[in-house]
Amino acid sequence: MSANVKEKKGRALFVGLCVLVFLLAFGAGVVSKFAIAPSWSKEYSVVWSDEIGTLKADLSYGDGDANKFDLYLPKDNGKGNYGLAVYLHAGGFTMGDKADDRNTLAWLCSKGYVAAGINYTLRTETNEASVLSQSNEIKAAVPKVIEAAEAFGYHIDKLTMAGGSAGHALAMIYAYRDAKESPVPVVFTYGAVGPSSFYQEDWGIFGLDRNDEACALLFSVMAGVEISAEEIRDGSYLEKVKPIAAAEWVNENSAPTVVAYGTHDRAQPFLASLRLKSALEENGVDFRYFECTHSGHGLQNDGKISRQWMEAVVEYLGKYMPI
Amino acid sequence: MSLTAKRGVLLLVVALVAFALGRLAVRFVMNLLLGGSLFGGNFL
Repeated sequence: MSANVKEKKGRALFVGLCVLVFLLAFGAGVVSKFAIAPSWSKEYSVVWSDEIGTLKADLSYGDGDANKFDLYLPKDNGKGNYGLAVYLHAGGFTMGDKADDRNTLAWLCSKGYVAAGINYTLRTETNEASVLSQSNEIKAAVPKVIEAAEAFGYHIDKLTMAGGSAGHALAMIYAYRDAKESPVPVVFTYGAVGPSSFYQEDWGIFGLDRNDEACALLFSVMAGVEISAEEIRDGSYLEKVKPIAAAEWVNENSAPTVVAYGTHDRAQPFLASLRLKSALEENGVDFRYFECTHSGHGLQNDGKISRQWMEAVVEYLGKYMPI
Repeated sequence: MSLTAKRGVLLLVVALVAFALGRLAVRFVMNLLLGGSLFGGNFL
């Protein structure tokens, strides 16, 4: 074999090796993005164990199949009073389960709180569940959760409402709309990317700002009441969506709040979060608002800001629901 | 630098670029689903 042919063969082999290395490293990059959680996030997520406390699963608060909650009771049961931290699951009001947040609930319990994850009836093609009916289920559930905690020997004297996305929306509705009827004071609310207002012009992400019929349809489904395109046009729909628009219920007595939103959110309108921010400012509520300027609904591109958001959550928990 | 050393460096560069592109590809897809910018914020 001539030296020339040998050199050509060697070069071809090396090019093949480069392609192989490229593919393997590309795959490793993809996997690493999913498999490696930011180190800071592990501080706010705990794997449940009996060392943390006792888990009472699937306790009932109503007749519906989904009317169940999980109660995470801390190991130390000798205190006179406990703060209850409710965390509501995400899923666009149509999917998800309280078990999705078990590590968050375990983290809250590990801090010494009684923690609860509450399921609510999800919207399907065959039922009429709405954000309104879901918020009313949560409203009905909270007293039952407190009663259950008391029955297990944990006296609850204050409440934090929290959640992610749809769960965040429901947590805010309880914290701002229903707090005055709560058995114990709602002292803090936190969460991320929950829709809090329903102004047609804000919902351009789904094209609702240019389509009155589509807007009427979606808002009807969410609000659980019939809204017509005419009502969208004349603005009277705002009164009908008010029961599910948490920002509309903010007042000077509203619970301190920590929230995070993504500027590029495609699932809920970022503009709606600015209305929440304005309402909190105008009413003098103690709040922190974090804008993840490179992220969407997952806050996925702003680790530094997400970390600051969770640090603020811990700070506010310590301030308003001290152990 | 010998030919083998040069090729070793080149392979390392290819691996690093491919790893970064893999992470960027995931970010791109996540941004399509959730919203977000391709650059800025987190490193990749």
